[in-house]
Parts: sequence; structure tokens; C-alpha cells
Amino acid sequence: MGFFVFLMVFGFFLAPYPVRDFGCLYQGCTNLPPFTDWAHPLGTENSGIDVYSEILNGTPNDLFVGIGATVISVAIGVLVGAIAGYGRGFSSAILLGFTQVFLTLPVLIIILLFARVFVLLVAGGFGLPLITLILGVFGWPTIALVARGEILRIRELEFVQAARALGAGNRRILFRHIVPNMLSPIIVISTLLIAGNILTEVIISFLGFGDPNTSTWGLLLQEGFAYIRTEWWVSLFPGLAVVFCVLGFNLMGDGLSDALNPRLRE
Amino acid sequence: MASLLTYLLRRILFMIPVFIAVSVITFLITNAAGDPIKLIRLSFKTLTPTQLQQLISFYHLDQPLYARYFQWLGEFLTGNLGISLQGGTVADKIVPWIGTTLELQLLALVFSLGIGIPVGIYSAKHQYSKSDVAVTSTAIFGVSMPTFWLGIMLILIFSVYLHWLPSFGFISPYPPYWWGNYYLDAIAHLILPVLVLTFVSVATIVRLIRANMLEVLRQDYVLAARASGLKESTITFRYALKNAVTPVVTIVGLSFGFLLAGAPGLETTFTWPGLGYAFVLAATVLDLPVVQGITMIITLLVLIANLGTDLMYAYLDPRVRLS
Repeated sequence: MGFFVFLMVFGFFLAPYPVRDFGCLYQGCTNLPPFTDWAHPLGTENSGIDVYSEILNGTPNDLFVGIGATVISVAIGVLVGAIAGYGRGFSSAILLGFTQVFLTLPVLIIILLFARVFVLLVAGGFGLPLITLILGVFGWPTIALVARGEILRIRELEFVQAARALGAGNRRILFRHIVPNMLSPIIVISTLLIAGNILTEVIISFLGFGDPNTSTWGLLLQEGFAYIRTEWWVSLFPGLAVVFCVLGFNLMGDGLSDALNPRLRE
Repeated sequence: MASLLTYLLRRILFMIPVFIAVSVITFLITNAAGDPIKLIRLSFKTLTPTQLQQLISFYHLDQPLYARYFQWLGEFLTGNLGISLQGGTVADKIVPWIGTTLELQLLALVFSLGIGIPVGIYSAKHQYSKSDVAVTSTAIFGVSMPTFWLGIMLILIFSVYLHWLPSFGFISPYPPYWWGNYYLDAIAHLILPVLVLTFVSVATIVRLIRANMLEVLRQDYVLAARASGLKESTITFRYALKNAVTPVVTIVGLSFGFLLAGAPGLETTFTWPGLGYAFVLAATVLDLPVVQGITMIITLLVLIANLGTDLMYAYLDPRVRLS
């Protein structure tokens, strides 16, 4: 985990070749198998792109999508959950219904549709922020439900009653007393959401619906899949990068949830 | 019984806003992609003014957006999905794809429930034993993997190097068939995709069942049952499992929808002629009527799956019916 965050910050400097560099096309080092030439430790693919360098170039982009989309989702989710959980009556019922409608949508298909159409419409270069935004806008319902459940639980606790007895207003109670106390389950869920968002981004660019000029692991996997019969290494290594990165976030989420949930400890 | 009926009615009423939301989103997005005439012009450069006029009135482009939406929705509800830009009606194209997609998904669902539930129970009963650690670490690998990448790896091993199994399609178009027979050939084509889907959803189910069982086995009533001298198997299966399985039913319903919506990646990897692969192909060439049709059909299938889940849920947990 820490390793990948390190790569996210320094990936651009560590990568030996620039983003989507086709230099090998002119030097005759395309289709190199891995571990043969130390200038290209993980081999090169059909159009001369260095696999090792591309994985490093893709790391910040994939983490940017994963984390950025989660931040957007958490912002929307906590806000909606807070209003739905704290308010009583019509507006909270509407918001709850809205959340459940969102939860039932076949999200991935709709995300793919959005990505395909908007990456096409918007000029190149904005593909990544756009995908981040789309993922963020569709990822909030689980967070909203968790936030609402927590608020329903916390607002009946004594210290909230005490704050109210002292004359604190609704907004102060909500944001000073309740929200800080419901952070731990939200943190667990968002760690898992980061993992999910990275996986979705990989699928989007694997299917070729992403931005073809930005290095991402999915794009490299797509190129590897086209030459699967001859170049196994282009499929294997970026996939391993995805697995370890997502595994890191999932393990972190599990660990946090065990650490924060005293009932499961013995 | 009456309560179950009202419950069912409520769930069906809930499906309507979801359906409308998806239809509005789909319609707006596909319209944002451009109108069909621009796309037709890409391949037919010389359109006469009369042809253009006919196309405009065929696609109702002279009418405002909301009027076109209601026309489109009305036609969808009567089963007319429009005409593909690549020829043929959308409905004729989609129907066989529904079958192949469901074949894959349902098989994987059956296998993953059959494997996932017992393994999850075993893992929870022997928490922190060696086999439990093995199961949980495999499971967390399973949920951390892009489905299609596992597919690619299996294709590399079993088709490219070992030549044991076919890597694409759902049947060989002409002899020689795999394993010498038409039916065995179909099975050979099924093995790898079903294996991948099963592995991924078993991982989710095992994690859920294990977590729920651990939670339930800690409850006081289980302690009470144990104190009154009931057999361990009775406690596990009659007391604990029923309460541990109910949340899983919800998740299975949701994850069926998730798997169905996640079909594009996997079906593209195996060139499986289902809804997901068709969606990717149609979206790549911007065949918008087909894209709209597939999105709506997948939504309908997901909604039906959710309804089935809700019914299961109401059957297993009487509290749901009464509230």
C-alpha cells in the first residue's frame, strides 16, 4: 500500500521512458520478452512501448481515479446521508428513496455509456478527470446508507442529548458532534470503494472507452490482449500491478474494519 | 398472505422510478452522443435533400427532445426497440444474446452458491485455523482481481500453452468440434468463462457468509442453545445459518445485477456472444439504438432479479413482510 502511494508520487520520475513512448519502434526493440534486456526489464509490446515504464506511468493515473472518485462519493454520500438521517419527514424520505433508486441502477453499464460518450465529446486530455467525476457521481449510495444508519444510531446517544440540552443548534450538533463520531465506518467503506473504483477504471480503459493518450493499466492490458497469442508478458505484468494495488486497499479496509469494530475481536 | 401481497405490490411500485430514471439517463446520454443522421452520413456521403428529409422524419428529429423521449419509451414498452444502424431490428438482434448471457450468469451463480455457502460456514466455524486463513486469503485475492484479467490468464494457460480448451466464442462454427461432439463442444466453451465468474463471485459470497456467521455465532441465543445441550450441527444449520443467510440473499441479488452489468469485460475477453460483448461492440461504433436497447434490457433483468431477491427475503425473514 505504502509502496503504491510512494509510486503515485514518484512514478513519473522513476519511469525510465516518457508516457506512451514509441521510441523502440525506431530502434528495433519491439516485442522483447521480459528479463532479456535490462534496458527493458519487463519487455516491450508490439508498438515498442516499454511495459515496466508504462506500469509506473500508469500508477499515478489509476490511483488518481480511485482516490479522487472516492473523495467525490464520500462528499455526496455523507451530505445526503446526514440530511436523510438527521432530518425527519418529507425531505429525508425523498432522499432515502432517491438513494435506493441509485443503488438499484446497473451502474457499470451506465458508467461505460457515460465514459464512451463524454470522453468522445470532450477534447482529449480531460479523459481521466472525467472518468473520476463519473465514478464519483455513481459511487455515493452505499456511503449515504452507511452514514444514515450511523446518524440514526448516534443521535439517540446521551452526549447528543446533552449538547441539545445545552442549546446547540441542529447544524452544530450535526457537524460538530455527530459527523466526527461516524467517521470510522465511513473510512472503512471508502477504502474498499477506492479498490472498487480502480477495478472499474481498469475495465473502462480495457474496453477502450477511456482516453487513449493517457497511460493506465487498463490500456496496457487492452494492448496485451490484442497480442495474447505471442506476448504473454504485456497481459501479465500490468494485471499483477492491478491485483497488488487493489489487494492493498482491500486488506487495509479489512484491517481497519477489524480494528475499529471491537465486537469482532476476541 | 395478504401482507406478502402488499409487500410484493410495494416492491413493484418501487421498480417504476428506477426504470424511469434509467430510461431518462440512457435517452439523454445517447442523444448527447450525436444524432443518427450524422452517423449515417459518415458512410453515405451523398444524401439527397428528400432522403435527408425522410431520415429526419423517421427519427422524429423535427420534434422537441421530450416528445421524442415519450415516443421512444412508448415504443420500447410495446416491444419495438428501433432499427440498428448496422441493419436489422434491435429486438431481433438482442433476443439470442439474452439467452447466452443468462446461461453464463445463472450457471456461475448456481456453482458459486453451491461452493460459497459451505466453504463460508466451514471457515467461520474454524476461525483463524490454517484452512480458514487459506480460504480468506484466496477470497480476498478473488475480490481484488479484475474479472477479465483472470480470464486472460486462464486463456494464456489453458488455450495458448496447453491447447486444452477453446478461448473464444460459445460454440465452434464448423467441425472439428472440441472433444468430438457438438454438445461437448458447447461445454468446452463454457468451462473457462464459468470458472472465472464462479471464482470471483465465490470470493464475495464466502467473505459475506463467513462475516455473518461469525457475527451470528456470537449471539446470546446461540450460547443459550449450546447451553441447553443441542447438537453442534443443529445449532449451526437450524439456528445460525438461517440468520446468517438472510443478508446474503440481498447481496446475491445485488451481485447478480452487478455481475450482469459487469458482463462487458468478461464477455469481451471470451468473445462470448452475449449482451455485454454486444454492448461493447455497439458502443464502440456508436450504434446508438442497440446501445439503448441493451441498457434497458439489462436494467429490466436486474430489476427482475431484485424482485426475486425481495421475495426470497420476505420468505426467509417474516419481519420484512410485517413492517
